[in-house]
Amino acid sequence: MRCAWDALMSILPVSFRAEVDKQGRDGLRELRLRLDKPPELVFAGRRQWLSGRVEKDDLEYCVNVAGKYSPWAAAGIGEGYLTAKGGHRIGICGETAESERGRVNFRSVSSLCIRVARDIPGISAGMEGLQGNILILGRPGSGKTTLLRDYIRRESECMGAHMVVVDERCEIFPSYDGVPMMDTGKATDVLSGCGKAWGVECALRTMSPDRIAVDEITAAGDCDALLKAGRCGVPIVATAHATSIEDLRLRPVYKPLYESRLFDYAVILQPDSAWKGAYIRYDA
Amino acid sequence: MMHKLLGAIMILLGCGGFGFSMAARHRRDVRCLQVFLASLDYLECELEYRLTPLPDLCRKVVRICPGAVGKVYDRLASELEGQAVPTVEPCFRQALLSDGELPPNTRAVMEQFGQTLGAFDLSGQLRGIQSVRESGMRTLKTLSDNQFRRIQNYKTLGICAGAALAILLI
Repeated sequence: MRCAWDALMSILPVSFRAEVDKQGRDGLRELRLRLDKPPELVFAGRRQWLSGRVEKDDLEYCVNVAGKYSPWAAAGIGEGYLTAKGGHRIGICGETAESERGRVNFRSVSSLCIRVARDIPGISAGMEGLQGNILILGRPGSGKTTLLRDYIRRESECMGAHMVVVDERCEIFPSYDGVPMMDTGKATDVLSGCGKAWGVECALRTMSPDRIAVDEITAAGDCDALLKAGRCGVPIVATAHATSIEDLRLRPVYKPLYESRLFDYAVILQPDSAWKGAYIRYDA
Repeated sequence: MMHKLLGAIMILLGCGGFGFSMAARHRRDVRCLQVFLASLDYLECELEYRLTPLPDLCRKVVRICPGAVGKVYDRLASELEGQAVPTVEPCFRQALLSDGELPPNTRAVMEQFGQTLGAFDLSGQLRGIQSVRESGMRTLKTLSDNQFRRIQNYKTLGICAGAALAILLI
């Protein structure tokens, strides 16, 4: 497993760095910081609490450092997350305030969930040669993005496919000063920070891709974007929050996607991050 | 007699030099403020067009900002990259403190700028820049009004004060 560990360390408050580095270097999946509570380290199948308590300044430090002290550049903050250097995603909870224009801002932050971006080369072995539109399903934290990342690299590197990645949240292939921090494969082009609809349209018009990969479908807007972009002659691969095809069918937000029969093949991630794939059989 | 004459010349030169340095300082204040206001224009364009993060933004501004103002941006970028504190304001204060060359009026306007930096979203930040720009323009206008006459006054006062002191002491 590879991970931008130094980048993760750099966004943590100095008081916790050494302890997190010591306890979490092998296999840390999440770090949870809650105001006035001890920091929690989450590993596969176990948790561990560190000594000490998280203070307001610690949370403020994490948010500001991860956002490079620039609220305007941290695009996802209004949606409750931001992506830090190294692709680590920080989920934010706290007291919010909604502006007249409907934009949600954080008045104060009370807890953070820092998810460690991992890169595990080789986990998508077995997905080569899959045809049609592919949807990777799994619960949060099951490794959807990690699998997608490896799949993109494998297709690009081994199959020579021109992969275009529309990385709205900058977490599939995070970059620093424009340079990707993870291996993208030799034939991958990354369009990051833009919306899926614009990104897919732009990729189709300008990059002549063999396959387009997009990050998580979480909202109705994402579904609309894929519906507009789908069946365009270029296969799409995406990820979504669901544990089965049945979940996908029943979740209202994914209903248009299911009904449109856009995706041909589903890869379902198990809680232990193993996966199984199957062609989707739609109801008649 | 020779010693007295030498002393008078030295007093005259000392006071005159003080007057000339005051005039140069005034000119420098105006120049620095103009540079700072130009940097605000650049910041605004860069923010609106690219939403550049603050440390990168400061590094870019350094390239177009000569002298003391550029040094403050450079120092601010280093402070932010050092990630030592949770907010921008202490970094900016530190950057200002470390530069003793900054003229007083420019320093005052930049202090106001530091209070708004990195605290709001894009529209808030742009409004903050606008407010600092207006304040800077007012200060610049005050400094520029009768600038030529004021500079001449500093020089004349320096020489006259030197001459008066020399006459009184000799």
